[in-house]
Amino acid sequence: MTGNLFRALASRAPFWISAAIIVAAAVIALLAPFLPLADPNAMEGAPYSPPGAEHWLGTDNFGRDILSRLIWGTRLAFTVALVSSAIASLLGIVLGSIAGYFGGPVDAVLSRAFEVFLLIPSFFLVLLIVALFGSNIAYTMVAIALTTWPRSARIMRAQVLSLKQRTYVQAARAVGASNTHVLLRHVVPNGLGPIVTDATILMGLAILTEAGLSFLGLGDQNAVSWGRMIFEGQRQLRLAPWMSFFPGLSLLLLVAAFNLLGDGLNQALSPQLRRLANRVTPRKPLDLSAAEAEPTPAAPMIAVRDLAMSYAIGTQALRAVDGVSFSLAKGESLGVVGESGCGKSSLGAAILQVLAPNARLEAGDVSIAGRPVLRDGHTVRVDGKPVVDALRWKDASIIFQSAMNALNPVMTIERQLSEAYRLHRPEATAEQARARIGEVFELIGIPIGRLSAYPHELSGGMRQRVMIALSLLHAPGLVIADEPTTALDVLVQDQILGEIDALRRRMGLSLILISHDMGAVAETCDRVAVMYAGEFVEIAPTDVIFDAPRHPYTVALLSSLPSVTGPRKPLTSIPGETPSLTEPITGCRFAARCGRSTALCREQAPPRHVAGAGHEVLCHFPVGEAAP
Amino acid sequence: MKRYLLLRVLQLVPVTLVVIVLNFLLVHMAPGDVSIVLAGDSADPAYLATIRERYGLDRPFIEQLWRYLVQVGSGDLGVSFRSREPVFAEIMSRVPATLLLVGTSLALSVVLGTIIGAWIARRPGSALDSGVSALAVALFSMPVFWLGLMMVLLFAVQLQVLPAMGMSSVDGPRDGFGRVLDVAQHMVLPVLSLTTVSLGQYIRLSRSAVAEVLGESYITTVRAIGFPERTVLMHYALRNALLPVVTVLGLQLGLVLTGAVLTETVFSWPGLGRLIYDAILARDTPVIMGSFIVMSVTVALASLATDLVYAALDPRVKLA
Repeated sequence: MTGNLFRALASRAPFWISAAIIVAAAVIALLAPFLPLADPNAMEGAPYSPPGAEHWLGTDNFGRDILSRLIWGTRLAFTVALVSSAIASLLGIVLGSIAGYFGGPVDAVLSRAFEVFLLIPSFFLVLLIVALFGSNIAYTMVAIALTTWPRSARIMRAQVLSLKQRTYVQAARAVGASNTHVLLRHVVPNGLGPIVTDATILMGLAILTEAGLSFLGLGDQNAVSWGRMIFEGQRQLRLAPWMSFFPGLSLLLLVAAFNLLGDGLNQALSPQLRRLANRVTPRKPLDLSAAEAEPTPAAPMIAVRDLAMSYAIGTQALRAVDGVSFSLAKGESLGVVGESGCGKSSLGAAILQVLAPNARLEAGDVSIAGRPVLRDGHTVRVDGKPVVDALRWKDASIIFQSAMNALNPVMTIERQLSEAYRLHRPEATAEQARARIGEVFELIGIPIGRLSAYPHELSGGMRQRVMIALSLLHAPGLVIADEPTTALDVLVQDQILGEIDALRRRMGLSLILISHDMGAVAETCDRVAVMYAGEFVEIAPTDVIFDAPRHPYTVALLSSLPSVTGPRKPLTSIPGETPSLTEPITGCRFAARCGRSTALCREQAPPRHVAGAGHEVLCHFPVGEAAP
Repeated sequence: MKRYLLLRVLQLVPVTLVVIVLNFLLVHMAPGDVSIVLAGDSADPAYLATIRERYGLDRPFIEQLWRYLVQVGSGDLGVSFRSREPVFAEIMSRVPATLLLVGTSLALSVVLGTIIGAWIARRPGSALDSGVSALAVALFSMPVFWLGLMMVLLFAVQLQVLPAMGMSSVDGPRDGFGRVLDVAQHMVLPVLSLTTVSLGQYIRLSRSAVAEVLGESYITTVRAIGFPERTVLMHYALRNALLPVVTVLGLQLGLVLTGAVLTETVFSWPGLGRLIYDAILARDTPVIMGSFIVMSVTVALASLATDLVYAALDPRVKLA
């Protein structure tokens, strides 16, 4: 945990710079009494001296040394930051824990109170308190704390609510530990991370608040504060601008340091924010002339050769698709099956080049409708525009897994479809778009009345049909369906698959159906490719795959499938785990889980073995041949 | 919809109550006699008596509290002992100037911040993103009054191109286009200071919101459909990312108002902030108390407005 945190912070320059600023300022603040400084209150120098050899940062209108006052002001800034945020955090931890831990009416009352207090503009409350009680630094710090605690309380409450569900907390309660004990020993210490992070931001806020008060003349008369220095400097702005310049700069530096520190901690603690930073530069595109990218006549609908794609995970590259080849004629359908994580969805994304920020095409050639879109892992461009962009949706479209997330939640169905239609037919009017959407809806069986609905107002099956309608808007030659029915219940799954199949036959579509469901693929596809650890380990006509599988993995996959019509056989699951795709792999990827593997399998990558017409197996010892 | 509106408006009651009660308690806990706190050190006996009568200071504590609640509830925030004018009227007379300042800089910082934030969100983790993000933190870590002073120093003292004080020139035109131009000139520096400081918040907010939306599946869908990256960002991602931006907009009005008070002080802008500053100098407690109540209610109203805008923008929120 600590190691991860350190690693996540290691590459962040702003974090370390701000940490250094804070440490340096803290050391200066601590050492202030021992430094050879002028007395910050002594009016010894000549008034209004500009920065120079004698007074490095000049003197003010009373002849006091600015540098000395600045350093003593650092002490005050740290005192305010630490005391205010400590009191606020403590209050927040106590009240937030109580609300989260006891729940029910206690929580209802307390969280309502947090909300109410959060709405009160804190600066004005502090201002009122200090105006009423007098300009004293102790009051100021308490007032700041009293107005900022709801932040910590809310964070702590959320932390406790989630920690309460953890097993070790449940266990402690089950063995009869007292509430106080459980809270203090198990809940609070584990929930402190975000509180500490927020406290650094509170510190910055506290320093700024004190400075603002001092600037309004509500600062402690007996303390040297940066805000007070600016307050005094304001009137001498023309004569002695250095009086206000340096304290403001110090404020800016220290507060920014606290904020950046909190920011860095936040990002390091939250894996989601860290993932966002993980992105790769794509390979250089390859520019071809228009003639070179002309469609090849009589080419298959799609041809893929040695396609490879990887994801950057931290400093490693995970090869999700690793040398996949196949081609598909017009009107033909291919099922791609495999366990989750085998790279089948990545394959779909790689073909259409819709890549996650951390994904990168590494190698291979792809052509769609006879036009090259990828060559040697380089995106093919003509006139500076990727060829694949010209083919998108008009020639090749994709049906995404979960339509709930794949459709925009804040736009109506009509708007989303209409915009997609008119993007590729800019001359079409809204009426023409509507007419086309009506056609497709009728084809798929969506009531036209649903056009004005938002995605969340539709049933799961209907949403998926809308997604299919979206993919068919421009009657593309190729549709990639990426687990189109996973999120649906079984009955609807069958219906939708049947509809996709019927549409395919009627419209002469080429279809790539990506699925983990052998049954779904069996009914819909002419050919089946079995994918394992980024490779097609076997590809064959559907009946061959089911009747005479040759790869041990295919065999294992099929025997994990219950048969409805055949005799009842015991189902087997495949022991072991898929190899790590971030490490270099020698030999066959399935060797570790394969009952037939030998030393050869573990040492040498298997050859591509042609087992029949359109039937290829990636195996040293295909099933059905003499066992080794 | 009506029901929701009613419920949501009712939620303003507890905030307002807490603020009024806090006001009351603080005045009573403050050192010194309550009547003097409310009437000022130099009040003559006759005025002291009026104040005692007005707040019922010789009555039991609970009755005083009740009286105060009713009083404030009916819009009576007391009387300024500097001007002997009702505080509410004083505050209201200052609202237009503050509104002009806050409105202009809020609009500028929200629009600019959202666009800049969306722009850097395209490539999270890039040098541009890290640079602008760090700059954004520096912007909102800046003491706004200091930035104001530095701007005065540069533009009014050194370059002498812009006025540094007030809302209009003493001898400037009183009406017509000339007046507008005069006020606009006086607005430049205060608006620039306030905008610079709040810009940072909106850059960060919009950056994280857009970066998150860009990771959503529906963005992958529009990319796959072939929409150009600009459209994906500005039309689809920004639209959805505006939801969180709007939420925080309401919550942060308190910070913006704080900035406005400090900015007005620097530039002698004749708004609420200046009123508060003058009240502090004169120890005019009723004005400070009244301003606190007005600011709190404004922030609460802003959060209500935010909720309503959110509901209008997001069809998933059902107003029932």
